[in-house]
Parts: sequence; C-alpha cells; structure tokens
Amino acid sequence: MKFLCVECDAPMKLQETRGPDEGSMAVIFGCPRCGKGVAMLTNPMETQMVRSLGVKIGGAGTAAEPMGMVKSSLAYRREEAAAASPPEISASIAGEEKSVNSIEGRDSSGCPFSGAVSEAFAKQESGLSWTSEARARLERIPAFVRPMVQKSIEAHAREKGLSEIDGAVMDEMKDRVGM
Amino acid sequence: MKRYQDIAGDGGSNIVAQVAEQAGRVKSRMAAVRRIIAVMSGKGGVGKSSVTVNLAAALALEGAAVGILDADINGPSIAKMAGVRGRPLLQGDNGVVPPAAALGIKVMSMDLFLPDDQTPVLWQAPGQKDAYTWRGMMEAAALREFLADTEWGALDFLFIDLPPGSDKLPNLADLLPRLDGVVAVSIPSGVSRLVVARSITVAVELLNAPLIGLVENMAAYVCAHCGREEEMFPPARQENTAEELKAPLLGKIPFDPRIARAGDEGRLFLNDHAHTPAGRAIRQIAGKVKAFL
Repeated sequence: MKFLCVECDAPMKLQETRGPDEGSMAVIFGCPRCGKGVAMLTNPMETQMVRSLGVKIGGAGTAAEPMGMVKSSLAYRREEAAAASPPEISASIAGEEKSVNSIEGRDSSGCPFSGAVSEAFAKQESGLSWTSEARARLERIPAFVRPMVQKSIEAHAREKGLSEIDGAVMDEMKDRVGM
Repeated sequence: MKRYQDIAGDGGSNIVAQVAEQAGRVKSRMAAVRRIIAVMSGKGGVGKSSVTVNLAAALALEGAAVGILDADINGPSIAKMAGVRGRPLLQGDNGVVPPAAALGIKVMSMDLFLPDDQTPVLWQAPGQKDAYTWRGMMEAAALREFLADTEWGALDFLFIDLPPGSDKLPNLADLLPRLDGVVAVSIPSGVSRLVVARSITVAVELLNAPLIGLVENMAAYVCAHCGREEEMFPPARQENTAEELKAPLLGKIPFDPRIARAGDEGRLFLNDHAHTPAGRAIRQIAGKVKAFL
C-alpha cells in the first residue's frame, strides 16, 4: 500500500503509528512537500490480515525463525514445541533499536503499514522493547529455555519501571541469576 | 497523478521481498524431495489420512525414505495414526526436526504443536470475531512453514495429506514449487463420488496437476472369520467409480477394522498385516503410485 499526496503528486511518508487499540491502528502519513497529513485507521480484520502474512519488518536482513509464524501466532500451543519462542521474538525486528511507534531512521518511502502492525503487536504483547544488543544476547540463549529467560528479564524490567531492555538490564539479570 | 507502479519500492517493510524469500525457502527445502504427492478427496470421512499413512508405510517397507505432511491444520490426525503424537519437536541446525514414526517415516503435523486433546487451533488476534477474513491466510502460512521449515532431509516421497474441500489442492499448489502427483480417495457412495468428482476436476482442469489415480477405500468388508468379502454399500452404488470420475483406478481397499485399530493405537497397519486382503491392496496401489512417478 502506498499513499500519494494528490495536490503535490508526491509519495507520502510515514510519520507515526498509534495502537493497536482494540485491534485497530492509526497510521499517519505526511506529504514531504506540503506537510499535509492523513491518517489511515484500520479495523481489526485489516490489522490481522496484514499480520497473517507471516513476514517481519526489515526481515530481509535476518534469517526467519523456523516455524516462526506458527509458534508466535498459535493462541495455545505446547510450550516445548520446537523450543517455541513467545510472540514478541518472532514478530519483532532483529536489530531494531527504535521504539515501536518511532519511524525515525526507518526508510519511510514505501509501505510502512505491514511493518507497523507486527511491531506494534510485538510491543503490545510484551509491553517492552528490546535493543538490538539485548535481542542478540537473548537469541544466544538455548532455545528451550529462552522463553522462560525472556519472561524473567521482562518481569525484572517491569519491576524496575523500565520500558526498554538493553545490555545493562541483561547484565543485571546475569548477575542476579548467573545466566 | 502518479500511479501505484510509478512509486518505486516498498521501503523498510520489505514485504514483497520477504514473501518471495518465503517461496524460495520452500523451493530450497523441496529440492531434496524426489517426489511430492498430494492425497486428496474433497470429501471428509473417506479415509484419506489412513490411505496416506498406509501408502507411505508401503513405500517405506520397500526401503524408500518417506515423509508425511499433515496439511489438515484444523483436524490433524496423522501424528496419532503414525504413533508420534506427543513427541517433542526439536530445533535442528536447519529447521525443526520432525519426529520419525515406525519405518523411519518423518511426520509434521499441527497436532505436534497443540498442548492437549481438547485444544483447537486458535490464532492470536485482537478478537476471534470475523476471523473468517484472515483464518485462511494463517492456515496457508502454517502450511508454508511446515513445508519450508521442517528438516525433511533427502526424501524419496513426501505425502501431503489434504483436508476435505476442493479448494485445498489449489492452495497447496500455490505454495509448492512442483507437485509430482495427486492421489484421489473416494468410497463407493454416490455422495462421495459427487464431491470427489469436483475435486478431480479442479486438479486436472484447473491446475493441470498430474492425477495418479483414484483409490476406492472401504470398497468391501472382509469377514475376519471366513475371509469372505461383503459389500459395504448398496449394489446400486457399486458402479465403476473410477470410470465415472474419469480417473485411473489404482485399486480398491476393503474395509478392515484392524486398519482403524492400528490408527488409534499409532501402529502401522502394514507392519502387522501386510498379507491381509487390505494389506495386499495397499501395497499394490503403492506400487502403481511408484510406477507412475
């Protein structure tokens, strides 16, 4: 999906995403020439259809996790199934350091919507964002214990009132539990 | 005013490239599979999964490397029939390692991801209302991952057990880089013929898929005591199903309660009963499938 400023005949660029809120997202675009904005509001079906594609934002740079869509999207599944990872891992972006709704530094010349959906769901499900360093360290943890470790780290971060997990948080947990 | 095509690229989301990469992963994985065979019916309850498991077993008994993909995402049964239900799925170096049933048959099924007997396949969503709009996409994505992300290794035959519905084969064909053969399963009833005929039309005329032929399941009942065959369906229904469906008849499998029992117990029927009438019929059909391919 692409957006065009009719007046300027110029492709619009993503400025901000909001949500999901009850399954709906607001995706706000602006014209780089005249500055006018427009918001696309999705219904829950549209939001979910994009999520159903099983793609990751910026995924071309990283290998897809095997069975990533199945493991991340089944509402109820065996915890040990293929050392299943929780939704936030497979739905998020490896190497993404920006907060979920931030578009700064992202290529905004194309369709931002699909990516925004997955990212926003990732954010919504864990309530926390991970820096690329923290994410990389998490990925090095054996898969069969990774979900448990991730939950512990996120619980620790919440206890401390943090919204982002970075290397320092990982170090704290390492000292605390000796992982 | 600019058109869609005038605006280059899809930017950081990179969705189009990722979808292409997904197809590439399936193609790469299937390159190590010599023959991909879909088992379909269109009609439920005709014994597709049972036929699939038994054909796979027959070829495995001959020494072939065989895998079964259970494409029935919502009603998976292959894991139970093959005796791998509850086995762990392990993460390998190059994907998810499928559990191996007897005779080394590799199995991948949604059943292996579900926690217990009662849990259905439910997808995470803001709400399940109006899920019909996207559920099919989730199922197709799951099937794609089963194909691409399972460490099938080098296989001689990969059987894909399709759920009922004449739309299932086209969906599968869209995901696969190639389909080497289609086996249709029916029972000698008018209702079944009606539904299976439509599925065969889709396979042959819409998809131009290589139809190996028709298996007539539950063709007769073999008395366990005297070995005599009795008709399962009224004589009026015992017409030449294959001829009516314009499909080569691969064979007729008589009903044998031991097939159902073996499935319930997760044992391979052919391992114990290869020389029964049903066992012989299955092996003959498997021979024809192999010869076709």
